[in-house]
Amino acid sequence: MRPANASLLGTTTFRLALSYLGIFTVSAIALLALVSWSTTMFIEWQVQETVEAEATGLSEVYRDRGLTGLAEIITQRSRQDIEGRASYLVMGLDGHPLAGNLSDWPSEVSDMLGWVRFSVLPMGGVGPGVEVLAHAYELADDYRLLVGRSLADAKRVKSAINRALGWGLALTILLGVVGGYFTSRHMLQRVEEMSRTARRIFGGDMSQRMTLSGTNDEFDSLAESFNEMMDELERLLEGIRTVSDNIAHDLRTPLNRLRSRIDLVLLGTPDCDAYRRTLEETMAEADNLLATFSAILTISHAESAARLERFQPVDLATLAADAVELYEPLAEEKDVSLVCRAASDQMVKGDRHLLFQAVANLVDNAVKYTPAGGCVTVSVSAAESGAVELTVDDSGPGIPEESRDAVLERFVRLDSTRTTPGNGLGLSLVQAVARLHTARLTLGDNQPGLRVRLEFTRMTEEPKSSSSA
Amino acid sequence: MRILLIEDDSEAAAYMAKGLKEAGHVVDHAATGTDGLFLATSERWDAMVIDRMLPGLDGLAIIQAIRAAGNTTPVLVLSALGKVDDRVRGLKAGGDDYLVKPYAFAELLARIEALSRRVSAAQPETRLKVEDLEMDLLARSVSRGGHSIDLQPREFRLLEYLMRYAGQVVTRTMLLENVWEYHFDPQTNLIDVHISRLRQKVDKDFELPLIHTVRGAGYTLRAAR
Repeated sequence: MRPANASLLGTTTFRLALSYLGIFTVSAIALLALVSWSTTMFIEWQVQETVEAEATGLSEVYRDRGLTGLAEIITQRSRQDIEGRASYLVMGLDGHPLAGNLSDWPSEVSDMLGWVRFSVLPMGGVGPGVEVLAHAYELADDYRLLVGRSLADAKRVKSAINRALGWGLALTILLGVVGGYFTSRHMLQRVEEMSRTARRIFGGDMSQRMTLSGTNDEFDSLAESFNEMMDELERLLEGIRTVSDNIAHDLRTPLNRLRSRIDLVLLGTPDCDAYRRTLEETMAEADNLLATFSAILTISHAESAARLERFQPVDLATLAADAVELYEPLAEEKDVSLVCRAASDQMVKGDRHLLFQAVANLVDNAVKYTPAGGCVTVSVSAAESGAVELTVDDSGPGIPEESRDAVLERFVRLDSTRTTPGNGLGLSLVQAVARLHTARLTLGDNQPGLRVRLEFTRMTEEPKSSSSA
Repeated sequence: MRILLIEDDSEAAAYMAKGLKEAGHVVDHAATGTDGLFLATSERWDAMVIDRMLPGLDGLAIIQAIRAAGNTTPVLVLSALGKVDDRVRGLKAGGDDYLVKPYAFAELLARIEALSRRVSAAQPETRLKVEDLEMDLLARSVSRGGHSIDLQPREFRLLEYLMRYAGQVVTRTMLLENVWEYHFDPQTNLIDVHISRLRQKVDKDFELPLIHTVRGAGYTLRAAR
């Protein structure tokens, strides 16, 4: 990985900040142009108003007091206008000026009446020309009057505004770049920290977890999901470790027994019948081993949850009835009454074979541990919460409360003498199947006996994969 | 029967071939996928046993190839992959049956013989008869020596399966898969209990037993041992 500083400019955050900055700059420039333009328009409009008002006043003077009065007023006003803001000119028909502070009728105006713009030299006659906005009027008796105002003030205001906006823009860009830099660096540091943690986990330290900043931002939620994933992974790994230990422990015993049996018969005198007997026993032992293996595989398969997409609607009522029918002769042989109480049409989404295996395991256990004359009841019904509930009740010895969690573990058998047949995987298989179907498995007291309860999510009318329990 | 065996594990193949020959079949063996496909298409066989994972060409690809060529020879797929998904994939590719390793030889033999039987019994039957045991599939009634036998629906299906494959060995797994239609491992010998119930009804009052236990394999329905 590159060091943080070198890669900073390449980070998504920084690029994102830059592009936002670009968009912002363009819109700021557009806004600036609009403000500048409308200010100019406003100032010019004000100038026009002034010019028009003055012209109206002057034409009234002309009407009342004639040309002499007008000339007097103009001369007086020109003298008062020290800063040279106003321009006046009265011109006769022959084309020479009669009064005013302009030396001549400006060339730009020519014979036109109306609004004109032209420049005049400033007072004193040096420096750049000053732009003037003027209006030419026709007085009675063919005299012409030109009234104008300098636009110098307007120009000053406009450039002041432009300057202010320009500085603002520069500051915006600077802040954007600096802000983008620091935000990206902050993000990058968190991402870096996360990938460091991830690398430590690759390195074998499964206990490593992402640190949360406590701000509940998207990084925190990412870190939280990651940590949850790691917890689940660690749990699964731990499970695998326990199982392989158990397999090693639990399969070694029968394998040893198998080996010593063969050993014994080979040591003895050759005897065809003895060989045959040993071979048959060996085969039965091997079959048991295979069955145990196959149960372990089924459990890990159910736990890997790879079958979700294969889930199909399954009627638990039919399934329970099938299981009861399958075990009924066995129960009868043991003098245990096996009863099925299933309300019809209890649909769940799932894997029919795995579900059947789970129910069969429960019934098998129940029949196995119920003494003669006892009773096993399998019922499927709608729970109050709307879930589908499957219970297997027996009248056997039950499981003491403190051992109920333990029996769900693999290879755990409460019968420590191990005289009843079984491999200690039955209930853990049920547990794995329940977990795959997001069903809740609870062991309870049937007083007397064991009550195993499985609570499934009912399949909704519209079949879709639901992951909530 | 002429049986083609496509299996890359030579020891397993030798063991299988020996067993099949002892059961009276003619066996040819191919050790790679490409050899297997060549043999499968160039000669006529009564049944094929194809391993899924083979060097050269995958077992399922062989089945797809011969099925695409219109060859309907029954095929038994052998595989270490035993999940229902794998099973479905094998059958979808054109396999007729699927057996998961490790298996008992008796299971393999019973399934191969059942496969060849399946082909010959293609047309629907309405009556099955073994000795004096008669089954009417339309009326769903069973009688032996003229005496009607009253069977539960599941017992009827169990007996029907045994009668359809009369003279052949059917294993407990085959019965579970075909009569109960669930793929699962019973932890107890459930099937034996069901069979003994059926025996009570079919064989008890008669001199000649029809349902026999085959040690280490399963059951068979026939007149004599």
